[in-house]
Amino acid sequence: MARKMLVDEEMNQTNQEEAHYDFDLFVIGAGSGGVRAARFSANYGAKVGICELPFHPISSEVIGGVGGTCVIRGCVPKKILVYGAAFGSELEDARNYGWELNEKLAFNWKKLLHKKTDEIIRLNGIYKRLLSNAGVKLFEGEGKIVGPNEVEVTQLDGTKLSYSAKHILIATGSRAHRPPIPGQELGITSDEALSLEDLPKHAVVLGGGYIAVEFASIWRGLGANVDLFFRKELPLRGFDDEMRAVVARNLERRGINLHPQTNLTELIKTDNGIKVTTDHGEELIADVVLFATGRLPNSKRLNLEAVGVELDNTGAVKVDEYSRTSIPSVWAVGDVTNRMNLTPVALMEGTCFAKTVFGKEPSKPDYSHVPCAVFSIPPLSVVGLSEEQAIEQANGDVLVFTSTFNPMKNTVSGRQEKTVMKLVVDAETDKVLGASMCGPDAPEIMQGIAVALKCGATKAQFDSTVGIHPSAAEEFVTMRSVSRRITCRGKPKTNL
Amino acid sequence: MATTSFTAPKLSSPTFQTLCRNFPLSLPIPKTLSSFSFHLSPFLSRFHLHHHHYHPPRFHPRRLFAVRAESENGAEPIRHYDFDLFTIGAGSGGVRASRFAANFGASVAVCELPFSTISSETTGGVGGTCVLRGCVPKKLMVYASKYSHEFDESNGFGWKYDTEPKHDWSTLMANKNAELQRLTGIYKNILNKAGVTLIEGRGKIVDPHTVDVDGKLYTARNILISVGGRPFIPDIPGREYAIDSDAALDLPSKPEKVAIVGGGYIALEFAGIFNGLTSEVHVFIRQKRVLRGFDEEIRDFVGEQMALRGIQFHTEESPQAIVKSADGSLSLKTNKGTIEGFSHIMFATGRRPNTKNLGLESVGVKINKNGAIEVDEYSRTTVPSIWAVGDVTDRINLTPVALMEGAALAKTLFQNEPTKPDYRAVPSAVFSQPPIGQVGLTEEQAIKEYGDIDVYTANFRPLKATLSGLPDRVFMKLIVCAKTNKVIGLHMCGEDSAEIAQGFAVAVKAGLTKADFDATVGIHPTSAEEFVTMRSPTRKIRQSSESQGNMGHEAKTAAGV
Repeated sequence: MARKMLVDEEMNQTNQEEAHYDFDLFVIGAGSGGVRAARFSANYGAKVGICELPFHPISSEVIGGVGGTCVIRGCVPKKILVYGAAFGSELEDARNYGWELNEKLAFNWKKLLHKKTDEIIRLNGIYKRLLSNAGVKLFEGEGKIVGPNEVEVTQLDGTKLSYSAKHILIATGSRAHRPPIPGQELGITSDEALSLEDLPKHAVVLGGGYIAVEFASIWRGLGANVDLFFRKELPLRGFDDEMRAVVARNLERRGINLHPQTNLTELIKTDNGIKVTTDHGEELIADVVLFATGRLPNSKRLNLEAVGVELDNTGAVKVDEYSRTSIPSVWAVGDVTNRMNLTPVALMEGTCFAKTVFGKEPSKPDYSHVPCAVFSIPPLSVVGLSEEQAIEQANGDVLVFTSTFNPMKNTVSGRQEKTVMKLVVDAETDKVLGASMCGPDAPEIMQGIAVALKCGATKAQFDSTVGIHPSAAEEFVTMRSVSRRITCRGKPKTNL
Repeated sequence: MATTSFTAPKLSSPTFQTLCRNFPLSLPIPKTLSSFSFHLSPFLSRFHLHHHHYHPPRFHPRRLFAVRAESENGAEPIRHYDFDLFTIGAGSGGVRASRFAANFGASVAVCELPFSTISSETTGGVGGTCVLRGCVPKKLMVYASKYSHEFDESNGFGWKYDTEPKHDWSTLMANKNAELQRLTGIYKNILNKAGVTLIEGRGKIVDPHTVDVDGKLYTARNILISVGGRPFIPDIPGREYAIDSDAALDLPSKPEKVAIVGGGYIALEFAGIFNGLTSEVHVFIRQKRVLRGFDEEIRDFVGEQMALRGIQFHTEESPQAIVKSADGSLSLKTNKGTIEGFSHIMFATGRRPNTKNLGLESVGVKINKNGAIEVDEYSRTTVPSIWAVGDVTDRINLTPVALMEGAALAKTLFQNEPTKPDYRAVPSAVFSQPPIGQVGLTEEQAIKEYGDIDVYTANFRPLKATLSGLPDRVFMKLIVCAKTNKVIGLHMCGEDSAEIAQGFAVAVKAGLTKADFDATVGIHPTSAEEFVTMRSPTRKIRQSSESQGNMGHEAKTAAGV
């Protein structure tokens, strides 16, 4: 098959000087970044092959699936579970609106899980079709780089295929990692957490990042007892401190036990469940222990070192601004490069790669003002700089506008949970440097704000926009008085 | 926002307020006067009829002193008034203008009718339509009614109900009304804190500087009319059996079978509310489609989605009479026949400005044929000392627009900063189920105004619906000026549309281009991200002469990348 295609290509080839390859591009890994790059390259006229591991919800060295983390073990199944979990509190809120519901609402975990799996299988199929519609040749198996222009795919039955490619793109993503503590094999990662047979009764979550916070919210929303352990004082390191505190408060109010500045030291299997010991000497019994302690790039089994593709000390593939590795014909996008590990960023990187390599239009991904969301319940969404980052980067003063309010829905439901919004503004230029929100619909609301920030919108432009009433979002255009002004003096500009 | 705006009063710092109170005339009123050259005619003697007790007496010596000083300087003698601003009507526009004026140092009074959930010539309430008979109670009812859809959705996510959830109407009404009472109290507080004198009663203009409130006269340098509008029911036989939106928001019991006459946003919102609260709902519209004035595709889409949720639309059907049967049920006679058995018939057939019995004609304030007060760009009526904002002027009848007009007026009058409200790219929402959010031009308007445009659309099944199994879809649309690449219109119908549109409204208002949208990274997984990932136009519309006689529109289907 590949031979035949090569012949076709030869006939179309005008530049006889150029070496002949089986493919113009061979992509290893059909997740968000890989599929995007493959499709767009094919649309530019490139002949593209892509390989991916066989499908399964739980990933390993030899298991993956077209669609990648986002579709199979990340954004999509996670969001589905968040939807399911959010109904718990949502339905409680119905009572004060006059709805008479049973004292205790029944929830069927297996049904949700089953439907979630159906949906990701459906999406897996859609992604495969996307590739074939774009004319991309898909191989199932494990890809490996043999030389700067040579890949090898080990198929399920063990047979090996070898192809030459003018360009090779590594888009193998990342996988959850477990901390090296005794009994770590008793814990699970987010992969398994998305496919648990039974809903945990008592879950312990280790980690303070967005994955930890999201699973804590999911399980709590579905009625489990949840204990969340993290190293810092607040969860979500890297986000705006004020917003971190808001998230922490919300999680706590919704019944999640927070254990700041606490680590787990050991897991032991007992008859009652897993005995969890902390570095403060506490002991808990849980039926599920989730490690959400970070993810590592899938770069080990690709034979990269042998070919000369450099990795950094975390195992991420080193790339330049155009996503090119230390070998000119080998490129990498997405989580395997550990730049900004978000699906839409991988898509951007994949698009830029295709433009650069096959679109005759060198394009660098632009990492400024990338918005993102944490689907905790309620969610957090941000774009631009946190207050701390703004203060650090500012030349002049920074103005902070905040609004804390009771969402209208809560006035009748009686739910005690405030929505918090924040704008960080450069006092001198009036530019809005950062926006954050924690409250219902925050991720949906933030997208439009992100467009405005991306293009350097000023606070005056926000103010001149009329509100949509009654909405939560209108608060972003009606923040009239500054909450505080931070003087960022003492950073004398000097060339020394 | 209604709930949220209550955090706002904190913005007037006590220090500033104290300052204003102590030096009422040290603020730039004379400057304002000269900059506008509407000099106060001294023809009215200084009749100072009422020292109502709210008014801090210490104002007076300073005032007199100030007036004298002014005269000594050789300027035109300044008349003494009870107030710098007298506002008739304490709804969104009136409260905003009054508060801001007071914050700028003006002495301000506002009068409002006594509170009632149903408005009339003699009832109203602080907070106005938005808080008492509009946005707020409507949205609360939308929240309540949306639950039936959420119950259905939650089934798909594994939640189970042993017995079908039942709705208790009286709980909702009681909780809703408690909230309205709380809000009207908060609004009174806001006025009070700002130092605005609140007078309960019906205001009527006696002359360009005098307002009569139930027999008491108050003089003011400026008068602001912000009395809003009221629902209008056409004069057909049996109209006394019909209810309007005021009544519909406060029914004593659930309507079992309701007819809603009208195809505008109010009609659609109530159709969704009653449908969600398990009434049988029939909507009668004069035209073929709902929501005249909205983007055509949105009109089609929302109609289809609402019909899928069980609302029955009767198109091109106009009501002619209402008949009450012996069993108490109502029949609606239309041009197409008679439909029987309604417990309620609601008319959502438009609203009219509350301009009657305000003394406007006698004082010379011009009113247009719809009964709306004519104003210039600064909200000034044909009488220089009389101004009007909000629905009574029938410009864009939205709360945030009334707020904008009120704020602009306060700036114009009391901050020496003539400010015109800016009506470009005003976003708005319809809280139908599913809701609509929009900003800028419709496709039809855009073609008229710009000729060559590119239209991007997306019509998709949201992630939630794939699990719930419900036929919910989302429709999104971007309209781009082909020449400048600017996004000139953005429309959405589907869950969260109102919340989603707000941020994009900032972008559209700022004049951003399609390229700017494209450069923005999506937030995944959301519906909103679709607005920044629309790569290929659904159609390009070109008015160029060479396009062969197909009405000048060349439709090109998307390449579908």
